[in-house]
Amino acid sequence: MSKKAKQMLVAYGLVIPAFMVVMLTVAYPILAAVIKSFQDPKTGEFTWANYTYFFTDPVQLKNLLYTLYVVIMTVVIAIVVAYLLALYLRFTKSKIAKTIGTLYLLPRFVPAMCAVYAMITIIRDSGLINRIGLLFGKDIHLGMMYHASGIITMNLWFNIPFAALMITAGLGAIPDSIIEGARDVGAGKFKTFTSMILPLSLKDVVVASTFVFMSNVGSFTTPYLMGGTSPKMLGIALFDQFNKYLAYNRSAALSVIMFLICSVSAFVYIYSNLKEKEWEK
Amino acid sequence: MFKMLNPRRFYHAVGRKKFWEFILLAVFVLFFYGPMLNMVMLAFANEYSVPHVFPEAWGFKWWKYIFQQKNLVRSMIQSFVVALITTGVSMVLCIPAGYSIARFKYPGRKIFMLSFLLTNAFPKLGIFTSIAVLFYKYNLMGTYTGVVLIHMIHSMMFMVWLPASAFRSVHRQQEEAARDVGAGPVRTFFKVTLPMAMPGISVATLYTFLGSMEEAQGTMLVGTGKIQTMPVAMYGIVLDSSAVQIGAVFAILLIIPSVLMIFAMRKYIGPEAISGGFKMK
Repeated sequence: MSKKAKQMLVAYGLVIPAFMVVMLTVAYPILAAVIKSFQDPKTGEFTWANYTYFFTDPVQLKNLLYTLYVVIMTVVIAIVVAYLLALYLRFTKSKIAKTIGTLYLLPRFVPAMCAVYAMITIIRDSGLINRIGLLFGKDIHLGMMYHASGIITMNLWFNIPFAALMITAGLGAIPDSIIEGARDVGAGKFKTFTSMILPLSLKDVVVASTFVFMSNVGSFTTPYLMGGTSPKMLGIALFDQFNKYLAYNRSAALSVIMFLICSVSAFVYIYSNLKEKEWEK
Repeated sequence: MFKMLNPRRFYHAVGRKKFWEFILLAVFVLFFYGPMLNMVMLAFANEYSVPHVFPEAWGFKWWKYIFQQKNLVRSMIQSFVVALITTGVSMVLCIPAGYSIARFKYPGRKIFMLSFLLTNAFPKLGIFTSIAVLFYKYNLMGTYTGVVLIHMIHSMMFMVWLPASAFRSVHRQQEEAARDVGAGPVRTFFKVTLPMAMPGISVATLYTFLGSMEEAQGTMLVGTGKIQTMPVAMYGIVLDSSAVQIGAVFAILLIIPSVLMIFAMRKYIGPEAISGGFKMK
């Protein structure tokens, strides 16, 4: 056997086991779900009814819009704040910047429900903020529990550090010499930012926003513990369809809908990643 | 000393830039660490009734309570067993795949790589519900095998992509140098490539272990109450426990593994290592 063929064999041998696991436990179930989503629960015949249900039923439609609202708010606020934080971390060399640079890694490793629970102890009606308010004679009811603002706050807690991390890594890759070069030819701070730093880091912003978007469309823990009963985030609606109503076809259809919402951003992500490949070769 | 607590004095003492940096640090710490610190405080509160900001009585009452609950103690053991098995199996499956993708060029490489994105692209809950239907068929519901499979899906993408990007950053020349002085391919891998790729691999392993420790929705669905890991138990505690301290203690027990692991691997964890898992280069 030639050396090349041998190498090929090793390469395929190493990757196939993991690939098979993905095929069996992810690709196949997804395929099964897509097929199921077009089947009538009783007769098994082809139907669109599972899909139309989610776009015509007023409760489900409200859930969908509510989810989009929460997710888009999360993405916009998280990315803007994370970008500012990343700029600060990249261009300030002080002790405080260093401290924040270490501290912001931790939220990534805190189990989701612990963080949610910790936030609940603060914002619930008998939580810390309310108690501090009582000290000053004010009865503060934030009303964030079982409300979109609570979910968005919690999402920000999870996603700002993550997005800042991604963007910091991108900004760190911009050499100081480029920035100094721009300053040398007379560009002001703002001009340097808009013409050098922003375009060079845009790719990381896109990657960060797609991941924030995708991970929040199907989020479960936060709305499960903090969300109200109506409207619901899609993740909860899906869980209900499956676990409460045992409507397997509808739950399959809903997962496909969520996937389509995600895939819009996944497309942007893949596109921006592959584009880079061209000139990197 | 107390003079410094007056914001105006403080402002003039440290200067404008430092002042705003301190404000930033304060807001950052309050938002990201305030809830956690409050929760830690609550865990040691024997008595904590409404108008009080600080507990009236301190102690370990609720820790004792939790360790007396048989099902909670069992959930801790089950969590560890599942997390250890998951980490071991994914290391054996995914690290070779990462190496193959990083080091060999062959047709279909990109497809293999993108297939792992599937685990993150389709909403997790959608995959889980669809798998659950299959698991019913093959009697995997409520078994360790089923739960471990679910946990592997959870972190597979990182377990392939992070080591892949780590292996790629090892220069070929370094491997060639080892080969030149007479090391075989296997020895080269274990003595040169693997140690140099260790940071990426450790972060991936850390993710897998912690991801398994905190996975809740899939376990809740597939474990069907027979396998109840800590996060699933935590859902129950948050949603219907009478005393806020029970959740606080249990959350801390859930965070301890993370803290220990991060401490053990602290020299490897940095923005670059973590963001490597999100790029397809």
